[in-house]
Amino acid sequence: MTLALTALALPFLAFVLQALVPPLRRSGRGAAAVSIVCVGGSLAAAARLWLAPLGAPLVRRWEWIPADGGPLVTVGIYLDPTAQAMLVLVTLVAFLVQLYSLSYLREEPAPALGRYYTYQSLFAFSMLGLVLAPNFVEMFIFWELVGLCSYLLIGFWYERPAAARAAVKAFWTTRLGDVGFVIGIVLLWRATGTFDFEALFGLAEAGRLPAGLALTMFLIYLGAVGKSAQFPLHVWLPDAMEGPTPVSALIHAATMVAAGVFMVTRAFPLFAVVPEVLTIMAWVGAFTALLAATMACVENDIKRVLAYSTVSQLGYMMAAAGAAAPSAAFFHLLTHGVFKALLFLAAGAAIHAVGSSDIRQMGRLFGALPQTGIVFLIGTLALSGVWPFAGFFSKEAVLSAVWDGHLVGPFLMLALTALLTAAYMFRVVFVAFFGADRAGGHPHDAPPLMAIPLWVLGFLTVAIGVRVAVAGGETHHPRGWLTALSLGLAGAGIAVAFVTYQWRVISPAALARALRPFDWMARRRYGIDGAYAGIYRGIILGFAWLIGWIDRYVVDGLLNALSAGTLSAGDLLRRIQNGRAQDYVYGVACGLLALLVASQIWR
Amino acid sequence: MGLQAYLLLAAAVFAIGLFGVLTRRNAVGILLGIELMLNAVNINLVAFSRFNGDLAGMVFALFTIAITVAEVAVGLAIVIVIFRVRKTVEADRLDLLKG
Amino acid sequence: MTLETAGFWGLAAVLLAGSLAVVLTKNLFHSVLYLAGALVATGGVFLLLDAAFLFGIQLLLYAGGVVTIVVFAIMLTERLVGERIRQTSRRLANGAIVSAAVFVGILMAVGQARLPTERPPLAGDVTRGLGEALLTRSVLSFELLAVLLVAALLGALYFARNDD
Repeated sequence: MTLALTALALPFLAFVLQALVPPLRRSGRGAAAVSIVCVGGSLAAAARLWLAPLGAPLVRRWEWIPADGGPLVTVGIYLDPTAQAMLVLVTLVAFLVQLYSLSYLREEPAPALGRYYTYQSLFAFSMLGLVLAPNFVEMFIFWELVGLCSYLLIGFWYERPAAARAAVKAFWTTRLGDVGFVIGIVLLWRATGTFDFEALFGLAEAGRLPAGLALTMFLIYLGAVGKSAQFPLHVWLPDAMEGPTPVSALIHAATMVAAGVFMVTRAFPLFAVVPEVLTIMAWVGAFTALLAATMACVENDIKRVLAYSTVSQLGYMMAAAGAAAPSAAFFHLLTHGVFKALLFLAAGAAIHAVGSSDIRQMGRLFGALPQTGIVFLIGTLALSGVWPFAGFFSKEAVLSAVWDGHLVGPFLMLALTALLTAAYMFRVVFVAFFGADRAGGHPHDAPPLMAIPLWVLGFLTVAIGVRVAVAGGETHHPRGWLTALSLGLAGAGIAVAFVTYQWRVISPAALARALRPFDWMARRRYGIDGAYAGIYRGIILGFAWLIGWIDRYVVDGLLNALSAGTLSAGDLLRRIQNGRAQDYVYGVACGLLALLVASQIWR
Repeated sequence: MGLQAYLLLAAAVFAIGLFGVLTRRNAVGILLGIELMLNAVNINLVAFSRFNGDLAGMVFALFTIAITVAEVAVGLAIVIVIFRVRKTVEADRLDLLKG
Repeated sequence: MTLETAGFWGLAAVLLAGSLAVVLTKNLFHSVLYLAGALVATGGVFLLLDAAFLFGIQLLLYAGGVVTIVVFAIMLTERLVGERIRQTSRRLANGAIVSAAVFVGILMAVGQARLPTERPPLAGDVTRGLGEALLTRSVLSFELLAVLLVAALLGALYFARNDD
């Protein structure tokens, strides 16, 4: 318990120090040191916590908002194996990313660097708080803090219009889902009278949850749709690439997008009672996975390819959750967190070396950047699902769960996605790291401060896989034909990429021509971004125009009419005031008459 | 004679005074009409006082008389000033307060 | 026909005739003289109502004071203009209609009210009672009245004085 609180408190301490002591923040490196030391402490606490096996969930609550009949809202900590694992992942990735950033952003001015580390500390604190939240209210608070931090970090280079736009887009898009989330939370409270996870799970276990929760849980699921970039709210994630690359690594691996999947995993006992929502979740997840994979195939920006692959992998996780296998989803979340952080950081190293994120500007980087090349290859193999890397097992667990859930459609979509994943990832590898030498200048390998996090993550990617391969993971039930299928799909994907981009037996252009409709649509992102823009222009601007019209003609007109009426009434009344005393006496006499008449009528 | 007779007499005087106020062109004539109306009121006050056996009405009448004297004094002074400045005392032409 | 009834009708006739003459005469000076008559008749009505003191006041202040002031004013304005002020009326019909309507209205209101027909017996001397009331219950108003009269006197002087 103390350890969990320590892990939570240290980043907050760093944030408070940086936020309240401007000289520290402006010193840049000093702020970085505080951040890194604190999150390192958190990592140590989380690791120590992870080593101690946990029986029942550890819960500790403090009363926050008191109400009649017991505390309505509490704050506290809910610690179970899921949270333990998540704590380690979050602190690990945050620690490595902060370490890496120190080198990656060394050319930033000191105040900007301090600002960056301030946000980083708050981000780590928010995510840890979300992981440890014992009830929906606390979770929602941290949930929004996470959204705020990703807004701040995506827009870190706020003087760039594209970054500012991307930050706002991320904020608004996730906010759409959050509206559903908060309504769902309140509806759930109305139905059950509690926000507390333990109480809710108790009700679910006893089968005493009230009926008709489908809409409520669907609304809560919407929150995850926004955060975890599920179709149709996935549009913000690729744009979030405008932030610094380490931020992308953090957002994609451990914090922002993980929040949605984590929330679904955390609240799974509640989702389990509404199979309709689970089915939707599975189909949407699988569809998202396939859609994002096709879009990744046509991207030339290495970060965007990775971004689409994240969307695609999040689809995997959601599909697994929808197939009633939250453990598979969570397992994939963990392994994906590790190797996606690796991929982003390696991509960052490559971008750093080349000065561009376009893979067509790279080429034969493997020779110049052997370290980066190796770890990127490790990450790619893991993401493609090649034995014995971590991604293979988690992906197989997901596929197996979806098959067990008798979800044939999603299963086929996910299988196709696996093929595409291998293909587009190896396309990047072949084009950027092998292939013709088109890189200008003299790219050099990453400095040690950047290399160390890469090697740590690379090692973990292999180690997790090997450990599961040797010991057999708790979520891994080998199934012969499925293993063969997974490996076959990955192999086929790699082969396609090799034949097209390395061996060049088939030209990419010919392939694109053969699949012209798909190519055409994927390049335009299936018109989804366009549709949002259209909605924005059509509806919001139309509405604004309407409001403007109403303001100009109805509201202003009303005021003008009012003032004109006042003026003309005054003009009429002015004529009564003719200044002749005798006419006023007429008025007095008529008033007296009126009084007399009135007294006759109402006596 | 009952109270009613006195009240009716007062009403008649009041109406006549009102008529004078409404129709006279000369400011002094208007003041004379006002005097008549005030007299009518005094008759009412005294009559009510006597028939109700309460002296308050007569005290009021006394006050009214005194105030009327003051009013006439000030009113006539104003008339004289207006006359000096505008060479007329016709109420029609005195519309400086026109809105 | 008691003495009181006879007196009332006689005084009423004089009062009404005098009033009508005040508002209808062309000559402003005559108008003031008729007003004096009407005021004296009003004083007579007060006498009928057992208010001898008020009768005296009416004669002294109104018939004496007010009428004298008005005559002075007329004299002054006539001297200034240098001709006799002819007094004309206007909108006679309008004035008559409104005045008649007011009279009828009051008439109806009075006719519907339940009013005493017999006056109660006098409780002591009226003049004495008035004097006591003025110096006890109404003493503050009485003193304020004195202030008002001084203010009016000063105001009238201020207005009427010559600028030079």
